[in-house]
Amino acid sequence: MTAREEARGPAAGVSPRPAPASQLTVWSLRPALQENLDRKLFGQHLVNKVVVKAVKGFLNNTNAKKPLALSLHGWTGTGKNFVSKIVAESIYKRGLQSKYVHQFVATLHFPHAPSINLYKDQLQSWIRGNVSICPRSLFIFDEMDKMHAGLIDSIKPFLDYYELLDGVSYRQAIFIFLSNAGAEKITEVALDFWRNGRTREDIQLTDIQNALSVSVFNNKNSGFWHSTLIDRNLIDYFVPFLPLEYKHVKMCVRVEIESRGYVVDEDILTRIADEMTYFPREERIYSDKGCKTVDAKLDYYYDF
Amino acid sequence: MWLPHPGRAVCVGERHAPLLLIIKWKGCRKALPVSTPCPHAVSPPWFARPDASTHAWWSLPLLAALKVQLDTKLFGQHLAKDVVLKAVMGFSNNPSPKKPLTLSLHGWAGTGKNFLSQILAEHVHPAGLRSKFVHLFLATLHFPYHDQLKRYKEQLQNWIRGNVTACPHSVFIFDEMDKMHPGLIDAIKPFLDYYEQVDGVSYRKAIFIFLSNAGGDLINKAALDFWTSGKHREEIQLKDLEPMLSVGVYNNKNSGLWHSSLVDRNLIDYFVPFLPLEHKHVKMCVRAEMMARGYAVDEKVVQAVADEMTFFPKEQKIYSDKGCKTVQAKLDIHEDAMTRDSKAKG
Repeated sequence: MTAREEARGPAAGVSPRPAPASQLTVWSLRPALQENLDRKLFGQHLVNKVVVKAVKGFLNNTNAKKPLALSLHGWTGTGKNFVSKIVAESIYKRGLQSKYVHQFVATLHFPHAPSINLYKDQLQSWIRGNVSICPRSLFIFDEMDKMHAGLIDSIKPFLDYYELLDGVSYRQAIFIFLSNAGAEKITEVALDFWRNGRTREDIQLTDIQNALSVSVFNNKNSGFWHSTLIDRNLIDYFVPFLPLEYKHVKMCVRVEIESRGYVVDEDILTRIADEMTYFPREERIYSDKGCKTVDAKLDYYYDF
Repeated sequence: MWLPHPGRAVCVGERHAPLLLIIKWKGCRKALPVSTPCPHAVSPPWFARPDASTHAWWSLPLLAALKVQLDTKLFGQHLAKDVVLKAVMGFSNNPSPKKPLTLSLHGWAGTGKNFLSQILAEHVHPAGLRSKFVHLFLATLHFPYHDQLKRYKEQLQNWIRGNVTACPHSVFIFDEMDKMHPGLIDAIKPFLDYYEQVDGVSYRKAIFIFLSNAGGDLINKAALDFWTSGKHREEIQLKDLEPMLSVGVYNNKNSGLWHSSLVDRNLIDYFVPFLPLEHKHVKMCVRAEMMARGYAVDEKVVQAVADEMTFFPKEQKIYSDKGCKTVQAKLDIHEDAMTRDSKAKG
């Protein structure tokens, strides 16, 4: 029965009484989330820290005042969708396939600008309906920079500090927004650090966060442009994704080779990593596409 | 009206949800554990005697409890506390009020407007927002399309009329007034007026609360002026702000009350200003949140979280940009430090 499948922990699926905190399965989620991020996500020391603490803190808080709203920003191929997948997998047994996880891609689900009113209505109904069925729902909005500026405003009420809205409480839901907006700003900061001879790990969240918030707000292509989400500070965390360097691309290739069961050949590894294009022109430090197209290149070299 | 479907799969991490599901299975809001009947729900107005009950429907202990709650939970709003207490006391002690109580709460984001209206609603109806006698309307959610204004007007009027008939002590909270179409609020003007009855229904015991950010910048300016002239925050009086607020809100095209007859006819009983919060108030919020979560209050963490907030104006950096919002999120980041300390101590 689906109830049993989806439920986690001893208290779920049995008589519906609130489980005492010590029995809650969220305690067992944190190591998995941290572990997965450490093992699988390369080059994002900031993300590791923020996401784990944010998700863990939110899940453990029995009296959350508002739903968790994370905004992941960064260059393409740096792992934003990957992180949202890992988060979904650590909370829900079936991960992204769970019926409590909802993924919206702006260009796919909300393609036509003239139908924006229809999209607004539908989106509100969808969120309202699903949160009333499962208060602990996860909503992932991808390609926020392609989303019509007004559309996100329509879900603002659900992200706010209300106890109840039409009888439904949204305080336990999680909203994740992914976008490329602000990537240039982040790259700028990272490049500054590199040029001043400081290590990547020296970059702190505060260095990026404030600059990001303003740049995202003013960027006409960001789904958030002049949106009340920023006005009202409804986004809990802006999570920046740094562009990936040569060594991270090599790590990606290595993991891909291992996952396919091939023998790791350092020579091929280096060749593949060298084939990727890097920017800026002179320094050539950061990969243009992050870790994307790595598996395609693998197919070319390993022709079994 | 969305009701959760009973018998669906139990979703992950439900702590409070299971309890809610049971309740909702039993039927729409009827079996809420703390629901009380509408206070002094009398028979329909046309049977009521001319001189209704002469004792206050709010007892003194309740009002004292309200004062205590406001003192302990609402930080930095001496004006709002004063005004609300007086307004509510006056309204409740009046055996036959001449018009419904109408409060208009104005202020910067995160200063406690929704919080205060929730505390108020809880004191009238213990179930608070969950009570079926408390109604919350959000302009952006319930009245999003300006071309449907006529329909919204009709529906709103019917909703208010129906609910006040069922419970004369209904509480109506209108949030995001600055986003509401100016014409919409005019639709409920008749209910706020000094009529004994409108179509056989008396609205005199109802409470209407309007929340908005309009006028927030005016209030901030006034507070800043006080600060720069060296006076204490607690010296700000309502009379310093009220007249300026009323005109400012009236003329502001973004205020839901723009040129509205609400202000024209003086149907708003009290303009309640919310002052922007200072550094020390943010620290109070952090402390309260830590205590609510059961952690020992660590001053270092409190200081760290408060320092992370952004302040305005640029030079003086006195008032928090977001009020007390995002404090919870920042606490989560510092939580590891806190759990370590609390484990060490306890």
